Amino acid sequence: MIPRLRVFHQLVLRPMLREPARTALTVFAVALGVGVVLAIDLAGTAAAGSFHSSMDALAGDADLEVTATGGVPDRVAGILATLPYDLDVRPRIEDFATVVASGRTVPLIGVDLLKGGLDRKYGSLTVADQFQSHDRKGVVWIAAGMGAKKGDRIALVVGERVGEYTVAGMLDGDAILMDIATASRDLGRGDRIDTILVKTPAQPGAEEWARRLQSALPPGVEVRPQGSRTSENRRMLAAFRWNLRVLSYIALVVGAFLIYNTISVSVVRRRPEIGITRALGASRAGVLLVFLAEAAVFGAAGAVAGIALGRAMAVGSVRLISSTVESLYVSSQPAAIEITGASVLLAFTIALVVTVLAALSPALEASRVSPVEAMSRGQREYVAQVHKGRDLMIAAILGAAAALAWHGPPIEGKPIFGYAAAVLLIGCSAFAIPALVSGLSIVSSRLLRALLGVEALLASRSLAASLRRTSVLVGALSTAIAMMTAVGIMVGSFRETVLIWMDNQLKADLYLRPGGRTSADRHPTLDPGLPAQIAALSGVVAVDPFRAYETSYQGLPATFGSGNISVALRFGRARFLSGRNAEDVLPELRGQDAAIVSEPFANKHRVRRGDRIVLPLGDRKVAFRVADVYYDYANERGYVIVDRATMLKYLPDPAASNVAVYLRPGASANTVRGEIERIAAGRKILILSNSNLKADAIKVFDRTFAITYALEAVAVVVAVMGIAGALLALVIDRRREFGLLRFLGASTAQIRKLILVEAGLLGLLANVAGLALGLVLSLLLVFVINKQSFGWTIQFHWPVAVLAGALTVVYAATVLAGLYPARIATRLNPIEVVHEE
Amino acid sequence: MIRALLAVLVALPGYHYEFPRDHFSHPDFQTEWWYYTGNLKAADGHRYGFELTFFRQAIDRATPRASAWDVDDAWLAHLALSDIDGHRFQHWERLNRSGPGLAGASQELARVWNGNWKVQWNGSKQELQAVTDRFTLRLTFESQKPPVIHGVNGVSQKSAGRGNASHYISFTRLITAGTLEENGRTVALSGTSWMDHEFFTHQLADNQTGWDWLSLQFNDNTELMLFRLRHKDGSIDPYSAGTFINARGAGVHLTSKDFALTPGGRKYGPYPIEWRVQVPSLGIDVRATTRLDEQEMTSYWEGAIELTGTRTGAGYLEMTGYRGPFQIQP
Amino acid sequence: MPLLRLENITKDYAGDGEPVRALNAVSLDVEAGEFVALMGKSGCGKSTLLNLAGAMDFPTSGRVLLDGEDTSSLGDAGLTRLRREKVGFVFQSFQLLNTLTVLENVALPLLLSGRRDAGAALEKLRLVGLEDYGARYPHQLSGGQMQRAGIARALVHEPRLLLADEPTGNLDTATGEAVLEVLSRVAKERGAAILMATHSLESAAITDRVVRMRDGRIEGIDRH
Repeated sequence: MIPRLRVFHQLVLRPMLREPARTALTVFAVALGVGVVLAIDLAGTAAAGSFHSSMDALAGDADLEVTATGGVPDRVAGILATLPYDLDVRPRIEDFATVVASGRTVPLIGVDLLKGGLDRKYGSLTVADQFQSHDRKGVVWIAAGMGAKKGDRIALVVGERVGEYTVAGMLDGDAILMDIATASRDLGRGDRIDTILVKTPAQPGAEEWARRLQSALPPGVEVRPQGSRTSENRRMLAAFRWNLRVLSYIALVVGAFLIYNTISVSVVRRRPEIGITRALGASRAGVLLVFLAEAAVFGAAGAVAGIALGRAMAVGSVRLISSTVESLYVSSQPAAIEITGASVLLAFTIALVVTVLAALSPALEASRVSPVEAMSRGQREYVAQVHKGRDLMIAAILGAAAALAWHGPPIEGKPIFGYAAAVLLIGCSAFAIPALVSGLSIVSSRLLRALLGVEALLASRSLAASLRRTSVLVGALSTAIAMMTAVGIMVGSFRETVLIWMDNQLKADLYLRPGGRTSADRHPTLDPGLPAQIAALSGVVAVDPFRAYETSYQGLPATFGSGNISVALRFGRARFLSGRNAEDVLPELRGQDAAIVSEPFANKHRVRRGDRIVLPLGDRKVAFRVADVYYDYANERGYVIVDRATMLKYLPDPAASNVAVYLRPGASANTVRGEIERIAAGRKILILSNSNLKADAIKVFDRTFAITYALEAVAVVVAVMGIAGALLALVIDRRREFGLLRFLGASTAQIRKLILVEAGLLGLLANVAGLALGLVLSLLLVFVINKQSFGWTIQFHWPVAVLAGALTVVYAATVLAGLYPARIATRLNPIEVVHEE
Repeated sequence: MIRALLAVLVALPGYHYEFPRDHFSHPDFQTEWWYYTGNLKAADGHRYGFELTFFRQAIDRATPRASAWDVDDAWLAHLALSDIDGHRFQHWERLNRSGPGLAGASQELARVWNGNWKVQWNGSKQELQAVTDRFTLRLTFESQKPPVIHGVNGVSQKSAGRGNASHYISFTRLITAGTLEENGRTVALSGTSWMDHEFFTHQLADNQTGWDWLSLQFNDNTELMLFRLRHKDGSIDPYSAGTFINARGAGVHLTSKDFALTPGGRKYGPYPIEWRVQVPSLGIDVRATTRLDEQEMTSYWEGAIELTGTRTGAGYLEMTGYRGPFQIQP
Repeated sequence: MPLLRLENITKDYAGDGEPVRALNAVSLDVEAGEFVALMGKSGCGKSTLLNLAGAMDFPTSGRVLLDGEDTSSLGDAGLTRLRREKVGFVFQSFQLLNTLTVLENVALPLLLSGRRDAGAALEKLRLVGLEDYGARYPHQLSGGQMQRAGIARALVHEPRLLLADEPTGNLDTATGEAVLEVLSRVAKERGAAILMATHSLESAAITDRVVRMRDGRIEGIDRH
């Protein structure tokens, strides 16, 4: 062991310490890769864990949950309470409240605090104070950190209104608790509640209990094991989180390229030393291990730094992710970011696996260095062997495999084959790059020499000569650029599609909705009288009250909504998959149990025009015929839309979730807005103009994809850092050449230019390769991965300006990455580096 | 005392009773309770006592209702099972708001209930059901006698002053049959039960600390109800009273001068669980004892007793206010 | 005025603690067209002297005058210019760039100084007898051919002074002699002076003057 340690020290540690800048760069690249993966994991868990925590807040140890579309009729609580079983029946109202002082939104839970319940535990929260007096309205229990203490008054936005509440006590958990009567009153819930949690005796098991309770309840009311909603939501979020996670691995893949490069360089450089070590008796396995150990050192150091980095980046990304989750999926309240043993293990595992795997090939090469090489005299340049022909063949095979995977179906809603195709394509490009580099450098050396002079000649020759190293760098950077390009094109196309869709869809002049925070699964309602009052205004020609309910279909959450078909026919421009007009489709809904469903819904549940879908509504289960599938980009949950009259037949609550107001031609939007504000005075209502609404929507859209851009940016940063590190290595390896050039009359400016031209060439090659790969990947993203994951049809669109801007920035960054190595090169003492003995 | 303002009615003489209406809720009174107690036997002679009490306390009559969840009344219920020969006393308590059918006393539904503890009227029969994590008790009551209205002129006066009284109705002899399901075993039970229904709007007077109450069912088909209101200084309130029900079901009002209730030496905590009951005018001089000392609920003692002396029989004894002033509110 | 004048040159290198004196009070003139050998053991200061002469470095004290220009009065750009115009280097291990063809290697000094004169490079190759090897890469040449290419490169920009550091050190005797003969001939033809470091007596034998060095000092000068 000791000799091996010494070898390790000589061959690995010492060189590492001799080049602290390069070592630091490599470690930092690994750390960034690991950090991003960890950050996305942590932030995803925190963001997804949040809806979990808000739904399960104060849920306690219940076994079953009772839910119904449009809310559980409250009499169900009475039915359950009087069944001759020993049940603990816990009716709940679940919503969100905003603390006025801090603007923070937290889960608001209304439970029956009177029932049996002095000093009882609600889930992880303990009601520290007893509900001693029964007439304490406007009393809340809050968590520490909400800016008030027991006995204080606290202002909260609850439902449409701001209210002052007295803090009766503190909870240990991030929620606001109030009695269900207060919650129902202040949220205007009437005779419905959100859920009833039921604790059953252990025997004869939850399933049998669910069956027994179900048989006592109306058919529209569903009895399921507790946590079903949570797991439905989790299932729904799975694809989203999965895609995010995949994206986060890009930076790591780029990092792997760099580790490969670093280890290759260290092997190449230390061939004579390896030879000597071998001549002195080191085994092949020993040499292999030493270089794998070098990778592991980089990996471990990267993991340590990556954990800290990941924690920091998670803080930044959790807000973005949870706002995405919220706008696309489900109410969410970011949970705390927690570094657990599992996340530390994850960091180390991915760092070590990736670095050791990346180092395997160069380490094997090191182990094959023969002892004779130690004896060979002179400083023979090691010419990396590149088999361009063989590599091209592999590239072709990978390309063909990618083409096959392209057409694979989704597996459990995840585009596994799509991602496989992406990986294969990246591999294909990696193997094609040597040929590209050598081809292009031959072409370019003439052209560039004419344009940029002798430095360009030297640069392009040197890149072609160290083809393998160059290819790896171009591979790393082009992969990063490709992903950036692909995601850029995908997001750009998506954005354009949404913009066009919004222009078609949003035709009303004003939109009203309750104030406060919105999310995809919460549908607070407006005062029921409001639409009629607005319709009576002189400037208004029509109003369309839209009502949405939370429901679930085939174990996945969905939104059940209704609008006024007549108004939609008059103003709407909905587009349908069948290609039919709204004039043909919408009348089919009138007076019928018929619905139109959104494209994501149709994709998720494989529903087609003419199919029947059964939804539990109120007390009943109702079958709807699918009249058509419409294009929708509002959220990913999926919509089932019926005529308003049809909905009122089953769920008679007339209140609207939002109202579209169409103005008489020539009427002033501002005047009408003022009139509506007067009608709705005292309520928290948001009135948005058409352009406000669109701007808001696109803001949500951009925020949604901000994290995606951030991930791409990190990958590019890693790649650029890799370029800097590699150029640094190049400078160190070729210091003799630079020294010689000085002898031959080169100025320091020429040396600098030479290195910058090399960086520029690398960047150019990477941009060309990356753009080509990126274009192919973007097609994959738009037409396969996105479609399979989320079910949206996206029109392909080139975001030229964004792409051009991004590529320019990347290119500039690559060239700038050459500055430091260039500085090092110009400071070399030519006499020392050419010194011959 | 905000509470006093909540209810609009107080118990006044001349109240016109009407059944079955008056077996159910009187929301205009502040407090109301329905007490079921009884002594039962299994086929093998194993003795049980039971108590199921529904309390209603008016909370809010002023705020317009926004939902069924508003707490207009709080409903408290107590359930106790005295396994006399098994020497085990178990009791439960539950609190509910009226809510969407969680608890109530509805003539329309012919039912007094709190969750799955309920008494359902079925013609002249009353069917009791009480579910706990240990057992399910199901009993059917058939009254042998018409309801008795205690006190004078429909009012049972509790202290001096207008309205410091209750309307107090009893079924004094309920022939009882039913089952006790416990640990998968079903035991058939039979025996005699007593039901009290009282509604009023007052508190104990300031100098009153609690009461001792007995329901005695003699083997000669007569019954006796007595209550004794105690003062803080240990003296007995002159408003203490009782009712003797003869075999035909007619009630005779007894004032504090008509009877003597004397605690014996045997005690459970502060509670005297042995009493001498004397009604000289009726020739009654009996000793009330219990075979199960531990029949204390959360804040009072209530348990099955046996009677020996000039008449024999069984009954229930309730003692309140021994552990601090008694409050009815949950 | 001689082509190269070294006036009382001293050169110290920073060592561990004490500075190491590489050259000590060295004065030497080299006339145009003259072929001078520097002889002495490894570490006697030959290479240092060549570097100072080639405007690659400044002396600690004393003056280096190259074609009348005092190197210490020049900055980095000035030195570069001086090298481009006046100096050619020949190295022991040839120092050809593997990534360039022989012709490109030879043309490199011209290219670096911004001149484009393919004819000059070809002409120099012809001069050293390698006109048919211009398109080859250095690793396709023999040692002697490589050094001849090195000489062609050193001459391509018509320098007044050729500095050669052990040009035959990596060659066998016969090849070494042939290379030396080429060096001597082409220098003479162009009127360039040669200052050659060597520790081979045979090599020194064909020069005009042999400067014997020891421990950083000139020990003696032998004229042939």
